[in-house]
Amino acid sequence: MNLESEEKNAADEFSYPGLGDVIFMKAEKFIETVLNWGRGWSLWPVTFGTSCCAIEMMTFGATKVDADRMGVLFVGDSPRQSDLILVSGTITKKMARRLINVYEQMPSPKYVVAVGACNISGGLYHDSYNTIAGIDRIMQVDVHIPGCPPRPEQFQDAVKVLRELIQKNKIERYDKRTS
Amino acid sequence: MTSELVEKLKSGLKGNITVISDDGVNDVVVLSDKKLIKSAAELIKGTHDILFMLTIVDRNPNFELNYLFSNYRNKNIIILRVNITQDDYKIDTVSKVFPSADWEEREAYDLFGIEFKGHPDLRRILLPEDWPGHPLRKDFEVTDDVRNWTGLDLKF
Repeated sequence: MNLESEEKNAADEFSYPGLGDVIFMKAEKFIETVLNWGRGWSLWPVTFGTSCCAIEMMTFGATKVDADRMGVLFVGDSPRQSDLILVSGTITKKMARRLINVYEQMPSPKYVVAVGACNISGGLYHDSYNTIAGIDRIMQVDVHIPGCPPRPEQFQDAVKVLRELIQKNKIERYDKRTS
Repeated sequence: MTSELVEKLKSGLKGNITVISDDGVNDVVVLSDKKLIKSAAELIKGTHDILFMLTIVDRNPNFELNYLFSNYRNKNIIILRVNITQDDYKIDTVSKVFPSADWEEREAYDLFGIEFKGHPDLRRILLPEDWPGHPLRKDFEVTDDVRNWTGLDLKF
């Protein structure tokens, strides 16, 4: 990728499809775009916290880095009303079934954010007998947040990235469970 | 200063006891016959209140079980050591005498594969029920099969 196109992409970052584009889109695509625009601004999370990353996730919801102003409302924590699952913490093999159980209760479309080193690659426990070395092995992840544990600001950034992906129709698959 | 309890164990178990330490505060005794574990526990129950820890040492291929008993009054400890040999990884449960042994024995079964005869509910406590192997044994190796096992091909 050369410099020019990068600059162009940066300029396009927050621009929505123009009026001319929208008129000539297929109706289905148009509706999808409008829906995705709304979905991006209202991501209710399931807080699936299993270890230290969960503490940072709590900070993300608290006053200093306010998640509510980005549409990420920590309300209820019921998977049946949520769009987004924040998997924060080590996923052991016993927990993997519970994670999939929660994930499958969420209505489509649903988005997955993997938080921390343990979720991305297994981290400290990559060679353990009882850890899933990266939740990519059991479900498809949209955004990864690196760090051990990541800072609350990184959650903010991840939500921003995820919103862009949704609103630009980059995430097409609805049910992303693979195994 | 000798321990009353150790004397009681010596007379009650008819010499199947080897004493390593009997200062009355931190007693260590070795039980030579594993069939006597329940009667030894019943003798200890008179003076000590809880089994607060059960540790396993893997002396490949034998196992060494250490039962640590304590009481609430003066914090004296007695360690009862039993060896089990490779021909039979089985021992009687003490969970009828000391109820706290229930989960300790389940953990020992889970991670070392020692079977406790007469246990009311001998299931795995930490790992999934269908997990292959016993991971804290010396001869256990973390192979690719173990690493890639997710257990998600099953219905849940």
